[in-house]
Amino acid sequence: MTQIGFFIDVTKCIGCKTCVVACKDKNNLEVGRNFRRVYSFEQGVFPNPSLTHVSLSCNHCDVPTCIPNCPTTAIFKRAEDGAVLIDHDKCVGCRYCEWNCPYDAPQFNEQLGKMTKCDTCFDLRDAGEEPVCVTSCPLRAIEFGPIKELRKKYGNVSEIKGMPSASITKPNLVIKTK
Amino acid sequence: MDEWALFIFTLAVQASIGSTFVLYLFNLRSSELKEDEAYHLFRMPLIVISVLSLLGLAASFSHLGAPMNAFNTIRNIGSSWMSREIVLTGAFIGLTCLTAGLTIVQKKVTPWLMLVTAIVGLIDVYAMGALYATTLVSGWNSINTYTSFFGTTLILGAVLAVSLVAPKFSKETSGINAKGIIRGAFAVAVLGFTIQVVGSAMFFTAVHEVTMIDAVPASSILANYKGMIASGWIASIIGMFLFGYLAVSKSKKTFVSLTFTALAIFVVAQGLSRYVFYVMPG
Ligand code: SF4
Ligand code: SF4
Repeated sequence: MTQIGFFIDVTKCIGCKTCVVACKDKNNLEVGRNFRRVYSFEQGVFPNPSLTHVSLSCNHCDVPTCIPNCPTTAIFKRAEDGAVLIDHDKCVGCRYCEWNCPYDAPQFNEQLGKMTKCDTCFDLRDAGEEPVCVTSCPLRAIEFGPIKELRKKYGNVSEIKGMPSASITKPNLVIKTK
Repeated sequence: MDEWALFIFTLAVQASIGSTFVLYLFNLRSSELKEDEAYHLFRMPLIVISVLSLLGLAASFSHLGAPMNAFNTIRNIGSSWMSREIVLTGAFIGLTCLTAGLTIVQKKVTPWLMLVTAIVGLIDVYAMGALYATTLVSGWNSINTYTSFFGTTLILGAVLAVSLVAPKFSKETSGINAKGIIRGAFAVAVLGFTIQVVGSAMFFTAVHEVTMIDAVPASSILANYKGMIASGWIASIIGMFLFGYLAVSKSKKTFVSLTFTALAIFVVAQGLSRYVFYVMPG
């Protein structure tokens, strides 16, 4: 299995949320349901304040706490690329995974009554393309691919100040910090 | 607070579990009762408890987005506390209905079945606690989740059981040790209250780490609910005094109405505390 993951370049991100909107458009998401979200962290005080934006979706974690807690076994880690997906034939819409994910990745679809989330745009990937967040970012701040390669290129940082500890779920996420 | 379904579900099922347990204790203390007296005393309470637990079950179903997949929820019993809780709750409700049904059909109570039902229920309360305590929600990951649930179970169980049997005193059941029963129930409520006080003290001295993005620590959220938290405790204390009075007083006239007053006060008290519990996810 080649585990996939995301690289987020915090030094480039300006918090414009184009990735959020592109993802909403691709997945037809109504107001309030966002497979990708941009979080902004303010730090420091005058004269050295800083504002950091981090774009996050599901991190397709190595220790996905969502999976053992789901009562229906609907959430699973796909064998071929380690993407964490939800089987809608099983999901009962209990929303328990919302309380068991540090990154707010599971997003409830009211109409379906079931949980939904980032699936790494596997239809686009099957067609040889990149996930839509990657291609939409005007600053090229997001990359997607085998996590080993991303880590080799960009290092091992998976959290910045203000984010939950990466030790909880071991997210497949690399962040380039300032 | 968005979790009204779970609010009703946890309160109703915990009250049912607690009152099954307390009714079993009543039965233990009423060995001098004749079979038909015991039947008259316990029939209605057992029916009310099973109806209440079924109401809780209905509320829990309304929480599900896709209830037709409900049977899937027991698939992950090996690792999901929610699966375990659902199996135990199902077993408790099944046993409660069986106990009530058998009582009606056989015209006598089956104490060992009440005991089994109560034990399954008490294990279920632990599972309910674990379901919340093992999440990443700030404030739930605390011993207070367990103490709060067990406290509710004992307090509501005791006062509900007393309210359900009180109207039967002195009518069909001359041989009953009414005062002994009320004192026993009061002792159970005192235990429940003490557990909640201890758990709450431990909660407010603990540091609540935030393990979810964009979340606020429980302590900052609860700061907005100080009035509600205080009202809950005040109601509990008033309820305990009233319950204590019922346990020692000799007057019979107002007894039944006062037990129902105590029940109402405790429902409000535990309701306020449970409401505050469900605001913690923010
Ligand atoms: S980010 Fe959340 S939903 Fe995605 S795998 Fe990790 S724990 Fe599960
Ligand atoms: S909402 Fe669906 S995927 Fe999430 S825990 Fe419940 S059954 Fe599992």
